[in-house]
Amino acid sequence: MDWHEVLIQQTVNGVTRGAVFALIALGYTMVYGIIGLINFAHGDVFMLGLFISLSYLTLLGMTTTLHGWQLVIILPLVFLATMLTTGTINVVIDRVAYRPLRHAFRLAPLITAIGVSFMLENVALLWKGPAPIAYPDVFPSVDILREWAGIESLLFITTKDLLVLVATVPLMMALQYFVTRTRWGKAMRATAQDKDTALSMGIDVERTIVLTFFIGGALAGAAGLIQGLYYNIGMWWMGYQAGLRAFTAAVLGGIGSMPGAALGGLVIGFLSAWSDQYISARWTNAIVFSILILVLVFRPQGLLGERAADKA
Amino acid sequence: MSNARPVRLLPAGLLVAALLGYPFLDKWLHAQTVHAVTDAMIYVLLALGLNIVVGYAGMLDLGYAAFFAIGAYTMGLLNSPVLGSPLYGYPWSFWVIIWIAAAVSALLGAVIGAPTLRVRGDYLAIITLAFGEIIPVAIRNMGDITIDIGGWKPVERLNLTGGENGVNPVGRPHLPFVNFDTDFIPWYFLILVIGALSLWAMNRMRDSRLGRAWMAIREDETAADCTGVNPVKTKLLAFALGASFSGFAGSFYAAKLQAITPGAFEFNVSIMLLCMVVLGGMGSLKGVILGGMLITLFDRIILAQLTFLVRALGRSLGVAALATVDLTLWRWFFFGLGLVIVMLIRPEGLMGRRVRPPAADVDEAEETRVLVAAPPRPRAEALPTWLREAAAPAGVPASGAPVLEVRGVTRRFGGLLAVSEVDLVIPGGGIVGLIGPNGAGKTTFFNLVTGLLRPDAGEIRLNDASLVGLRPHAIVSRGVARTFQSIRLFQNMSVLDNVLVGEHCRLRASVAGAVFRPAAVVDEEARARTRARDLLGFVALGDKAAETAKNLSYGDQRRLEIARALATEPRLLLLDEPTAGMNPQETDALTELIDLLRRELGLAVLLIEHHMEVVMGISDRITVLDYGVRIAEGTPAEIRRNPTVIEAYLGKGYEQELVST
Repeated sequence: MDWHEVLIQQTVNGVTRGAVFALIALGYTMVYGIIGLINFAHGDVFMLGLFISLSYLTLLGMTTTLHGWQLVIILPLVFLATMLTTGTINVVIDRVAYRPLRHAFRLAPLITAIGVSFMLENVALLWKGPAPIAYPDVFPSVDILREWAGIESLLFITTKDLLVLVATVPLMMALQYFVTRTRWGKAMRATAQDKDTALSMGIDVERTIVLTFFIGGALAGAAGLIQGLYYNIGMWWMGYQAGLRAFTAAVLGGIGSMPGAALGGLVIGFLSAWSDQYISARWTNAIVFSILILVLVFRPQGLLGERAADKA
Repeated sequence: MSNARPVRLLPAGLLVAALLGYPFLDKWLHAQTVHAVTDAMIYVLLALGLNIVVGYAGMLDLGYAAFFAIGAYTMGLLNSPVLGSPLYGYPWSFWVIIWIAAAVSALLGAVIGAPTLRVRGDYLAIITLAFGEIIPVAIRNMGDITIDIGGWKPVERLNLTGGENGVNPVGRPHLPFVNFDTDFIPWYFLILVIGALSLWAMNRMRDSRLGRAWMAIREDETAADCTGVNPVKTKLLAFALGASFSGFAGSFYAAKLQAITPGAFEFNVSIMLLCMVVLGGMGSLKGVILGGMLITLFDRIILAQLTFLVRALGRSLGVAALATVDLTLWRWFFFGLGLVIVMLIRPEGLMGRRVRPPAADVDEAEETRVLVAAPPRPRAEALPTWLREAAAPAGVPASGAPVLEVRGVTRRFGGLLAVSEVDLVIPGGGIVGLIGPNGAGKTTFFNLVTGLLRPDAGEIRLNDASLVGLRPHAIVSRGVARTFQSIRLFQNMSVLDNVLVGEHCRLRASVAGAVFRPAAVVDEEARARTRARDLLGFVALGDKAAETAKNLSYGDQRRLEIARALATEPRLLLLDEPTAGMNPQETDALTELIDLLRRELGLAVLLIEHHMEVVMGISDRITVLDYGVRIAEGTPAEIRRNPTVIEAYLGKGYEQELVST
C-alpha cells in the first residue's frame, strides 16, 4: 500500500470508529447537559447493548449471514429491541442510583455512577466469562470497490462500513429533530438550561430526565449492536475503554452540545485510527487521554460548546 | 485539638499492646495471617494518603493508583538487578530509596495536580482518571523503547520499566540481626512503623493552618480565596503530600512482593482505595483505617469463607448452581455495590462527621431564647485588644488620605457594560455606601475590588498600591476583607475554625512546622486560637465556638462572616448587603457594630445596602450606580434630594415617606 492509501484506509476506519463513539458520546452529553452528571456507567450500557443484541439474535436463531428480507425485517427489529432494553436499563440505573441523590453533594452521584459501572461490568463478566465472545457475522460483508464498482484497489471498504453510516446518521438526525422540533425536546432543552424555572413553567422535570436517560441508553444500545456487527467480538471490559473515549469525544465537542458530540466522536475516531497506524496502538490510549486532559484544562467548553467550565 | 482532649491511656495502651503482640500470637497459633495483614496495611496507608486529597481538600481523585505505581517503580528502578541499578544489593539502599520514592511521588503529585488547578469538581476527577490511565500505559510501553527516525535510532531497545513483565526481583531491606528474607514479622513491624508515623504526621497536618486551608477549599473555594487562602498552593500541597504517602506504600510494596507488574496499579485499585475512604468516612482518619481494614478483610477472608458456606449450603440443598459458586469472582461487583449503597444510605461513611440537626428538645429551647432575647449589642470593651493593636500602627490616616481609590474602572460581560468608568474613593475611617437598583453592577464592583474579576480598564489602589491583577487571597493579605450577599461560610467547619481560616494569611506555619510543631508554631497556634475566641466573644458567638457553622441561626451566621473577615486584619471592609433578611432589632445591632468598627479601629467600610435607613444613617458619602454607571455621589443629604437618584432608584415618594416616618 502507498502512504496515501494507508491514510485513506485509516481515515475510513476512523469514520466507522468515530460514528460508534459519537453515538455513545451523545448519551454522555445529554445526561450531563440535563443533570450535570458524568454518567460513568454509560460505557457499560454500550457493552450490555452488544451482549443483549447478541442474545436477541440467538433467540431469533440468526447466527449466520442474513440476507434479503432478514436484513430488512429482522435487523431493524433487533435494533429496536436492543435499544428498548438498554434504554430501560439506563432509566432503571437512574431511578435506583442517581435520582435519590439529586440534592446530595455534587460528587455523590459520580461515585455511585462508578459503583454502577463496576457492577455492570462484573455482571457481564459472570454472564459471559472473561474470554472474548464471538459475535456472529450476521451482516454480509461485500468489498464495495471491487465487487460493486469494479475498481482494483488495495483499499478495503465494505458494506459493513456502509452499515455503520446508514445506522448512525439517521439516528443522529432523528435525535436532532426530536430535540429541536418537538415539545418533548423543548422540555429537555429548558430543563438543561434551568431546572427550577422549567419546573415552574409546568415542565415535568423528572419525566424529562427519565426520557433523557432512555434516549441515551437506547443510543448506546444501538452503538453496541453496531460494534458487534462490525467487529464480531465482544468483551466484558470494552465498555470502560469505549466509554472513556466517547466521554473524551463529548468533552472535545463541548459537553452539553449534541452536534459537538457527533463532531468529537469523529475527531476521536480519526485520531485513534491514525495513532494506531502511525505511532503505535500501544500508545493510543495515552494519546486519547492526553487530549482529554488538554481539552479539559485549556478549552473546557470544547469545540462547539458555549457552556462555561464546570463550576462545582 | 488533640492536646486539649483528655488522653485515654487505657484503650490506647491496649491497642498498642495488641498491635505489638499480634504477630507473635499469630505465630504461636500458626494462623499465618501476618502476611495478609501486612498487605492490608499497605492499602490502608494508600487510602490514608488518598484521604488527604479527597477527604480534606475535597477533590475527587480517580487515579491515585498512579502514585502507588510511581512509588513502586522508583523502588524497582533503583533497587533491582533487572534494570541494572547500581544501587542494588547495598545494605542502605532500601532505606534511602523509600525517601526518594516519596519525594518523586510528591513531585509527580504536584505535576499531575498542576493542570487540575484550573478545573473543579467532576472535570478534575476525570483528569485524575486520565492520568491514572496514562501512567500504566507508559509503564507498559517503556520496557522497550526504540525511537526510529527514518532509520536513525537514537534510542534502541531501552528498558526503563520492565514492560509487561514488570520488575523481578526487587531488593529487600537490610538491617543487622533482622531477617527480612523468610520471615513476615519484620515486614509487619516495618509497615506498622511507617503507618504510625504517617498517621501521626497526617493528624498534625489536619489540626494545623494547612489542614484548615484544605477544608476551607473543600467547603467553598471562592470564599476561601476571599478569606486569604491561596487555592493554588493549597491544592498543590494536597496533591503532593497525598502522593508522598503512596510513595512510601509503593516502595514498601515493591520490596515486600519482590516483583511488580503494571497490572497492579490500574483503575480498579484506585477505585478500591476510593471505596475504603468513602466507606470509612471522607476526612476521618479512624474511619479510613476502619474502612480499609473492613474492605481488605472482606476481600481476603470473608468472600472466601462465604464461598465455602454457600457451597456447603448448595450441596446440602442439592442446588448445583450454589455448590459451585465462587464469590471471590464477584469481588469487584461487591465493591461497586458497596459504593452505591454507602452513597445512598450513609454518604458520610461509617465514621464521618454525622451531619444532623441538633436534638429536638435543645432546638426548642434555643428557639424560645432567640425569640425572647434581644439581639446582642456590640460593646466597645469587648473589642479584642489585638485587633486594636493590629489597627493601631497604621492608625487613622490623616483625613483626606484615601484607603481605597478607584479610578475609571470598567468591566464588560460580552456586550454588556456591567461597570463603566466608575470612580470611588474611601478615606481612612470612612464609611461609603454603594446603592442602586438590582443589576446596577454593585456586586460586580465588589468582585473587581476583591480580585474575583479583573477590570477591563481603570485603576484600583489600596493605600496607594495597585490591586489590579492580584488574586483575591493576595488582596486579602494586603488588607481588604469582604462578606457575601448570600452568606458563604465554611459550612461543615466549626465556628472557631471559620475564624481561624480568616487568620490564615497572618499565620506563618509551614508544612514542616505543622508536622514537627516547633515552639514558634505552637505559640502562633495558641495565639491564633485566643484571638479567634476574643473575636467570637466580640460578635457574641463566644459560647458557640464548637458549633458547626451551618447550624447557626441566620443572624449568627451573618456576624460570624463579619468575624471571619475581621480576623484577616483588614484596613478596608466590604460588606455586601449585611442586613438583608434581618429584623429591625438585628439591623440596628449590626449598624451599631459597623459604626463601632469605624470609630474604634479606624476601619474603612464600603457597604452595599438596600435598607435606606441604614445607608443614610451610617454612611459619610454615598455612590449611586445605575446600569453600571455612577449617576451620583455625595453626602446622604445630597443623595436624598438628587432628582436623578430619586428617578432611578429611591422613587418619587421617598422624600415624603422619609419626612412622615
